[in-house]
Amino acid sequence: MTQLDRKESHATVGVPAGRLRPKRVRRNLDLTLWEKLYLFEIIRGIYVTTKHFAFNMIGFVVPPRGKKRSVFTVYYPEEKVTLPPAYRGRPVLVMRADGTEKCVACGLCEKICPGHAISIVGGERENSERYPLSYVLDMTRCVYCGFCEEVCPKEAVVMSSEYQGLAETDRSNLRYSKEQLLRSEESVKGRIEYIRRIYSKCNY
Amino acid sequence: MVADLIESVAKILFIFSVNLGFFAPILGWVERKQSAVMQDRIGANRANIGGFTVLGLFHPIADAIKVLTKEDFIPAGANKFFHTLAPFICLVPAIVTFSVIPFGGRYQLFGHHVNLVIADLDVGILFVFALTSLATYGVVLSGWSSRSNWSLLGGLRASAQMLSYEVAMGLTIIGIIMVFGSLKLTDIGAMQENFLHWGIFLQPLGFILFFTCAVAENKRAPFDIPEAESELVAGYFTEYSGLKFVMFWMGEFLEIVAISGILTTLFFGAWHIPFVTDQRLLSLFQFAGPNGAAVLAMLVGIATFFAKVIFFIWLQMTIRWTLPRFRYDQVMRLCWKMILPLSLINITITGLVLLLWIK
Repeated sequence: MTQLDRKESHATVGVPAGRLRPKRVRRNLDLTLWEKLYLFEIIRGIYVTTKHFAFNMIGFVVPPRGKKRSVFTVYYPEEKVTLPPAYRGRPVLVMRADGTEKCVACGLCEKICPGHAISIVGGERENSERYPLSYVLDMTRCVYCGFCEEVCPKEAVVMSSEYQGLAETDRSNLRYSKEQLLRSEESVKGRIEYIRRIYSKCNY
Repeated sequence: MVADLIESVAKILFIFSVNLGFFAPILGWVERKQSAVMQDRIGANRANIGGFTVLGLFHPIADAIKVLTKEDFIPAGANKFFHTLAPFICLVPAIVTFSVIPFGGRYQLFGHHVNLVIADLDVGILFVFALTSLATYGVVLSGWSSRSNWSLLGGLRASAQMLSYEVAMGLTIIGIIMVFGSLKLTDIGAMQENFLHWGIFLQPLGFILFFTCAVAENKRAPFDIPEAESELVAGYFTEYSGLKFVMFWMGEFLEIVAISGILTTLFFGAWHIPFVTDQRLLSLFQFAGPNGAAVLAMLVGIATFFAKVIFFIWLQMTIRWTLPRFRYDQVMRLCWKMILPLSLINITITGLVLLLWIK
């Protein structure tokens, strides 16, 4: 028996029992007499909430013009937040200036999609350029992972910032065709710049 | 005789319309909106008529419509009679309390003495305590008759808490009764004409203790363990729906108003404006003739009283949205080990001062 084996047999597994003992809780030591009287701390607490109340009451009825509101709530349908480029909304297809899609129907997005949301039928134009005859995106299956965008060699699929119209009463309405998904390059410019940066897609 | 009858009916109608027509519906809105403003939120603002939201003031109307169209649900195995009776026992004492709270002074109007209180009882403050003890039955009955564990636990907690604070509340008020030498709320109000004779200056400790007890008696946060929503769903009124549920809520809101009224009467000079005596107020309105001056002074007194009441409602709401809930043992300890001895000390000191100093 070597020394190494003996050492192994004596080794303890896991956290030593001494360290598992809970630390002693030091009650009352943290409270001063002033805090133990409680009444003054109540008054301090009420002072804080009253301060918030008083400041928020300024412009409660009519909001002051040009001033930043101290309330952070967004009135959703009337107001909308500006989304950062990192936001992953509905995947869309990027369109060239002449109205044709950038997609070359290579099928990489179809293959990597974890939810099998994308189904592509490829075709070929007269100038032997490949293009998708149909590109169906089933939004009932999409999990907004963004793999399609990451894998795409042509920057043809990007995650847009669209989040509206994703709730429907009929599932068939959520199967988007190619025509419904085409967006101009201008509208998704920020996202394209962003994915070039994070996925190092600078070799275009 | 006819004048007395008209006076009584007018006063009852006024109190009813103010409490049930104004305070009860509006306090639900106030609670939502005030908590929102305090917590940097916006609060309920979606109910609208023709696009006008008016700060969400249509929400009480929407609530009323919703409540009236809801199913009146009685759980299987519940005691139907007591289950139906309990909300009434909660609501009625809260309304009846206003009958002894004076909302103005005595005025000479067309040769007729007008006393702005519905029932000028000699034992006014004791009547208030009797009614608040009656409200305990509503809570206990609702907790027991619902046949639900949440309700029963809520009812048990409520009975223990309300009975304990009943005792403490009775003792905290003795100081002020000793100082003014009367149980009549109109007398206590009238004696606070001088600003420096307000109850808050004569009994500062008594005010704090009574305020604490009153909030605890009303089962509002931080003493809301009977209806602790994170532990007991809604406590004793878990199994209630529709109008009966609203009766509990209205009872609670009206109790807030009643407590504010009692606090104003006992400690904050009732209907008196600081440094303005009744005589000076009457001489100020001399231009309107004797009757007109009395009417104007009466209106000013009522407005002053309700302004103070609204301030105390605001204070109670602020406390409710500021402080976290006490634990059950902490509530009991606060009552029996802090407030009760302190109120006894308060009574002793008040008695000594009255005996040795003032004679």
